[in-house]
Amino acid sequence: MQTTWGWLPAIYLFLGGLGAGALMVAAIFEFFGERYQSDFCPTALVGATVPGPLVILGTILLIFDLGAGLREPWRIFYMFTHFSSVMTWGVWLLTFFIPVSLVYGFLEVLDTFPAARDWLRGRRWLHWTKFLWNLPLRRTKRVFAGIGLGLAIGVAIYTGILLSAVGPAIPFWSTPAFPGLHIPLMPFLFLASAFSTGESLTVDLMATLFVDGRIPRGRRVHLIHLAVITAEALLISHLLIHAFGEGGAAAEAARQIALGQHSLVFWVFVILLAIIFPFVGHLYAAGLGRHLKPSGISSGISILFSGLFLRYLILVGGIHAFL
Amino acid sequence: MEISRRRFLGLVAAGAAVAASAPLLKGTLPATASERPKARYALVIDTTKCTGCGACIEACRLRNHLPEGISYIYRIVKGNNREPWFLMIQCQHCANPPCATVCPTNATYRREDGVVLIDERLCVGCKYCMQACPYQARVYDEERGVADKCWLCLPWVLGGGLPACVEACIPGARFFGRADDPNSEVSQLIASGRAQPLHPEFGTDPSILFYVIEAE
Repeated sequence: MQTTWGWLPAIYLFLGGLGAGALMVAAIFEFFGERYQSDFCPTALVGATVPGPLVILGTILLIFDLGAGLREPWRIFYMFTHFSSVMTWGVWLLTFFIPVSLVYGFLEVLDTFPAARDWLRGRRWLHWTKFLWNLPLRRTKRVFAGIGLGLAIGVAIYTGILLSAVGPAIPFWSTPAFPGLHIPLMPFLFLASAFSTGESLTVDLMATLFVDGRIPRGRRVHLIHLAVITAEALLISHLLIHAFGEGGAAAEAARQIALGQHSLVFWVFVILLAIIFPFVGHLYAAGLGRHLKPSGISSGISILFSGLFLRYLILVGGIHAFL
Repeated sequence: MEISRRRFLGLVAAGAAVAASAPLLKGTLPATASERPKARYALVIDTTKCTGCGACIEACRLRNHLPEGISYIYRIVKGNNREPWFLMIQCQHCANPPCATVCPTNATYRREDGVVLIDERLCVGCKYCMQACPYQARVYDEERGVADKCWLCLPWVLGGGLPACVEACIPGARFFGRADDPNSEVSQLIASGRAQPLHPEFGTDPSILFYVIEAE
């Protein structure tokens, strides 16, 4: 069991994935017009406003996890410089993602609450933001949603690439997605998990709490989430089966996760909470066209928790190749 | 001499083109004596002689002023209970070091002579290199918050001395010398084919450390 990266990295990988996933859902609602079916769309509002603060919190935790970077913070700027490192790509992605998602959230708030603009007009010290609220609102918002969507996909998959880039050192993390091809599986799993956690926050929780689960084209939205959960299940099983077949450190990691010391966390908090329980809940929601309060809140919370546990398990499963 | 602006820009462009193509040409032209690295070091560990006593581990710890229980070398016990043998692992000074690839700040770099070093003024302590090293040769310096590892006792070696682990080895299982000198002991060991890099399938191409391992 590797102990270099434990709970703290799991939390910031989770926060990054959640923020990216929430923004993806909001941007999809924006582009497919679900956002404009009613004046108040909690999915788009939360999906646009929450990613910035979440990713800022994750970045702060990341900085706290740096040894020398915390003591001599100017060293953090060196992290922008080495482009062969996936971590450098991640630092750049976060640098762009945070302001774009903050602006997108700001514009979404202006669009949802017209009174916000009047409030801003009355605040002389906020007038420097005028250039933003004087632009054609929806068109500008759409541009930021598009840029944000691209960056969100980047943020979601980069965490997976970060792990798989260690190559032969940790065979479990560099499990290939397709046999024989050098495309790692982790980025796909992290993308699916990010989307699932983002959708559970914005749709399962927020839409259920604020508009009683009545979202436009609810059946299709829940079917998409169902497909993502299925993909996650397939990716997790592919990961474990491949790891068992590969032997060595990868098989040991899979054994510890599925049968050994982490098996309780795996079967209860990941398989039951992230896969089976929300699968049933979303099957029900897709049939009905909307979540009822019990199914929406329970599957939302369970997916959020399990997203964190999944990342923790993958991190502790990173066992170094046997020498 | 007066140079028109057009001519000056042309000269600048030509100079830039030559400068840009220089790295491309470098690989094709025969290296002159001055371009050749001054030394190529090699460290061979004969596992058939190693008793696993750990003198190298302790010598390394003392020379580098590391806290109790931490060293740049660690021991792996192989074989079975009746006939154990030992692998002493430290930084393999790879020609293709994964730690340097993943380092976000360029703190890890490889010298001309093959020694891989860490510039501690650049390290932020993200520990990514510790994950990427397939030999797990890196330790984390809790006090300074940076990654740390074997540096082949470079100041001693450059001054004509030996790495601490080689000096301390009681059974004489460690051989250190210059691989570019065909008469040195290490060159002959490497040339004999008995000394091999550890796990070449990792693709890291360890260029300094070699192990003599008899078939089990």
